[in-house]
Amino acid sequence: MDLLAQYVMNGVMLGLMYALVAIGFTLFFGVLNVIQFAHGDVLTAGAFAGLASYAVVVQAGVASPLPQLVTVALAATLSMAVLGAVLGRVLVLPLKAAPALNVLLATLMGGTALRESIRLFYPGGSQPQRFPTLLPTSSWSLGRFALRLDNLLMLAAGAVLVVALSLVLQRTRLGLAIRAVAQDEETARTMGIDFRRVVLLTFAIGSALAAFAGVMNGLYYAEVNFGSGLLLGVIGFSAAVLGGLGSFSGALLGGFLFAALQTVGAVALPFASAYKDVFAFGAVILLMTWKPTGLIGEQLSERV
Amino acid sequence: MRFAPARVRPALAAAAIAAPSVLALYAFLSAESGTRVSLVLAGSVLAVLAGWRSGLLARLVRTADERALLVALALAALGLIRAFHDDPFVLLLLSRALLVLVACLGLHVQLADAGVPNFAGAAFFGVGGYTAAVLGRGTLPHPAVLLASGAVAAAVGSLLLLPLLRTRGHYAALITIAFGLLFRTFFEVNESLGGPQGLKLGGFRVLGFDFNDDRQLLGVDYSGFAFYCLAALALTLLAVAFVRRLERSWLGVALDAVRLDETAAACFGISIGKWKIAAFTLGNALIGVAGGLSAMMVGFIAPNNFTFQESLVLVSILLLGGLGNLAGLAVASLIVVGLPEKLQTIQEYRYLLFSVLVVLVLVLRPAGLIRRAVRRPFGSVLP
Amino acid sequence: MNQRIALLPRLALLLLLAALPARAKETVKLAFIGPLTGGNSAIGLGGRNSADLAVKLRNADPKAKYTYELVVLDDECKPDTGVQVATKAGADKSIVAGITHYCSVVAMATVDTFHRLALPTIVWGAVLPDITYGHSYKEIHRVNGTMINQNETAAKLMLKQGFRRWVVIHDTTDYGKGHNKFFTQFVTAGGGQILGTFGVTADQQDFTAELTQAKALNPEVIYFGGLTPIGVRIRAQMDKLGINAQFQGTSGIVSDDFIKGLGPLAEGVVAFREGAPAEKLPGGKFFLEKYAEQKYANPPEAYGPFAYAAAALLMDIIEKVGPDRKKVLAALGEVKGKDSIVGAITFDDHGQNTVAAITAYVVQDGKWVVWEDSEYATGKRKLKGR
Repeated sequence: MDLLAQYVMNGVMLGLMYALVAIGFTLFFGVLNVIQFAHGDVLTAGAFAGLASYAVVVQAGVASPLPQLVTVALAATLSMAVLGAVLGRVLVLPLKAAPALNVLLATLMGGTALRESIRLFYPGGSQPQRFPTLLPTSSWSLGRFALRLDNLLMLAAGAVLVVALSLVLQRTRLGLAIRAVAQDEETARTMGIDFRRVVLLTFAIGSALAAFAGVMNGLYYAEVNFGSGLLLGVIGFSAAVLGGLGSFSGALLGGFLFAALQTVGAVALPFASAYKDVFAFGAVILLMTWKPTGLIGEQLSERV
Repeated sequence: MRFAPARVRPALAAAAIAAPSVLALYAFLSAESGTRVSLVLAGSVLAVLAGWRSGLLARLVRTADERALLVALALAALGLIRAFHDDPFVLLLLSRALLVLVACLGLHVQLADAGVPNFAGAAFFGVGGYTAAVLGRGTLPHPAVLLASGAVAAAVGSLLLLPLLRTRGHYAALITIAFGLLFRTFFEVNESLGGPQGLKLGGFRVLGFDFNDDRQLLGVDYSGFAFYCLAALALTLLAVAFVRRLERSWLGVALDAVRLDETAAACFGISIGKWKIAAFTLGNALIGVAGGLSAMMVGFIAPNNFTFQESLVLVSILLLGGLGNLAGLAVASLIVVGLPEKLQTIQEYRYLLFSVLVVLVLVLRPAGLIRRAVRRPFGSVLP
Repeated sequence: MNQRIALLPRLALLLLLAALPARAKETVKLAFIGPLTGGNSAIGLGGRNSADLAVKLRNADPKAKYTYELVVLDDECKPDTGVQVATKAGADKSIVAGITHYCSVVAMATVDTFHRLALPTIVWGAVLPDITYGHSYKEIHRVNGTMINQNETAAKLMLKQGFRRWVVIHDTTDYGKGHNKFFTQFVTAGGGQILGTFGVTADQQDFTAELTQAKALNPEVIYFGGLTPIGVRIRAQMDKLGINAQFQGTSGIVSDDFIKGLGPLAEGVVAFREGAPAEKLPGGKFFLEKYAEQKYANPPEAYGPFAYAAAALLMDIIEKVGPDRKKVLAALGEVKGKDSIVGAITFDDHGQNTVAAITAYVVQDGKWVVWEDSEYATGKRKLKGR
């Protein structure tokens, strides 16, 4: 029973990280009908930005973990919000009229450029970097299950963020504008919504979420690696697609579903937990064959 | 050109294109220092720009006979092999570039002709390599092993056909991305095919003739790699001829229709599924054969050979050369494979460099560096 | 008038002397291959710097017949990249010999390539026995020891400390599998018990599945056969899951990056490697002094002295027989009792040097300390569960 609880905890932590990335993908798709494949690498860049700000803050003499944590989180989210908006402005908006594949390719390559830049230009970038421990490390042992305070705190923060975003989308004018643009761009523009501003703000919000996930990733594994963004990006994309691109709740569902698939794979397959990725991606392909536009399907219509 | 009789002009034009290209290639391959390589590159780029601006290049391209051009380039390649007969480094580079070109031709059929995106190109390359590793140890003659590599790659690709046919656009892209990642992880974890340590391969043997050995022919010492280069060249010529034949035939027209507008094509009675399957399978077969020969040449294959990053490099070559442009494809694969080897300083920066270049091409010249030729409708008069 | 005539012969002599071509020394190239980027780069760079030091010192020697140049290639600790750069080095006719590899995975993959391209090589850091014993190619030699002795000593010491129950986690490359094989063999022979064995991939991020299962088996020690990057992750995640076992590693984690990656969690970790620590080597003091003079950005790490010794040996041979691959190969086959900074080098019929000393290390106050000199040996500090 306690072993099961441990696995469930692991799965929930992973699921939250994937869900945060998936929400970003789904938001971008909603407003612009594009897949921003540099999103995973934005996550890594956010983690590295947090790491860099930690180094600066420690140099400045701040020793207690709480202000360090706040600085790291703020630095990561704000810098990635800016980077996300820049990527939107430079890579995505100009390619709005081009075939969808072009944007996918452009952002894929943009992500590669970002990843390689971190590897080449961050000091020691090609090696895994130690991420500082900024959360309290106390834990309660319930049998063989170690319930850790830092995991609970991260879960709580993530949940708050998701709820806050959902409220913004449902209750504020900005959220209304985003939903309007997602539904029908032409009409939204006709109604006076500043299309460009909404798009750039959406990119900023999505990227800030990714940065938060990146910091979470760093705190959870106590490590950041320049290459981790690629896999997380693909997983986030798969999760968003599973839940149906454009659907907020679908992204959440997809994120946790993918984590569940991975955890089940790790537990059920006796030989190696490394097969869990094979299992999870295989399951994604099968699910997509069954439901080509995701579980909470996207309404696909085309002008002929 | 105006002075030559009309019958000879196409051949002359072909020679006029082939000769300076091969000279530039020779200079590029034999350059020792980084500065000389950069000079050769800069010179070639300037020459091409000058030719373009003056309209000379366009005229030559219009007049040149494609078959003559292929023959000219093949003869020139043979000359290059003779020139570098005992330099295994250059021969290996040339062979690798040619095999990557063949793999990209497979991708070309899939993406540029049929519009089916394949982000697992490196995975199919690896499947071909592993097939060669496993079958090469047995009694099957090696030319048949190569064919088998292609067949197995096509068969593995057929696993994805159902999901690919049911999905469109981004979703279809996800299928191949997930597959590429899945495959690499599978080969790394699975011990029966070598695991992370990979597998070793013997050389390519045909009729008792082992390609790995250095040999003397007509009084000249040839490094073993020269024979691989010949094999790669033969494979490339076959692949190019095949792809061009395909594009000029009814299959090509059907693929164009499917790519440009699926709904309209379906209205005209073209079976979308059938043609997509055909293109995807043929493309994978080409990639598999190239992978098989490449593995035998290097003598080694490991899961790290076919990461998602490598698949992206193949797609980059397609984009840099211009989607639909075979000449651009050849130049792009030579540059992408050859430049990091020749210019040691950019070896580390190559992924960054290529990704930035592709982004620039996509944002600034989305139609490609050279605009894709539109198919001439039947009955039109040649200008 | 007389002076001008006398001047002419002198001038003529001067011109004659000036016209003689200056006797420039021929340049001989040696290849150095190691992991210069990625998780094991610290060791790779240490090896590179050490080989570079040997070349610099030799070039500064006026009695040397040739000028040496080190061609540095990065194998990224990946077998496919390793084969690529090995092919490059082997195919380049101007490279006479190679000082190759720290990662066993890569060394295993390139054995055939070096044989095929006839490049004589000396391995400086890879410990898998099959690299020299798994084939009969004359080209492959090794100055450092193999993992067999390392694991034998490790088993003996840990059993003596009173540990009886182990869980083994190893990477699925031949390196990790080799460690698993030899350690299991020696521990079970000495009365210890292996409760469970888990294979992990070389770039795995998340070990919670394996570690949760390991926790259920309740071991005293977790033995890890693999390299620094995963070692760091496993130790960190052990702590997250509340596993209180002792962590024991191999030569793969004896690096400063291991301690840097873990901070205080590294305290008390035990590891073993062949060869004495640099200060205790016959030529150790000399090596460390000269190394410090060059002001390299990275320390030599555990295998620097071996890389230096390999480079110095190759240059000695080339001075004697000339820059010819075949002659160098023949000479390497006859190396017996040759002095070097790591002791006397003798290559057996498989090109393997015997390195008698095995050093046990324990992390104490953020540094790798030789076991015998540590407070853990005296009993002042205790390993986990003692």
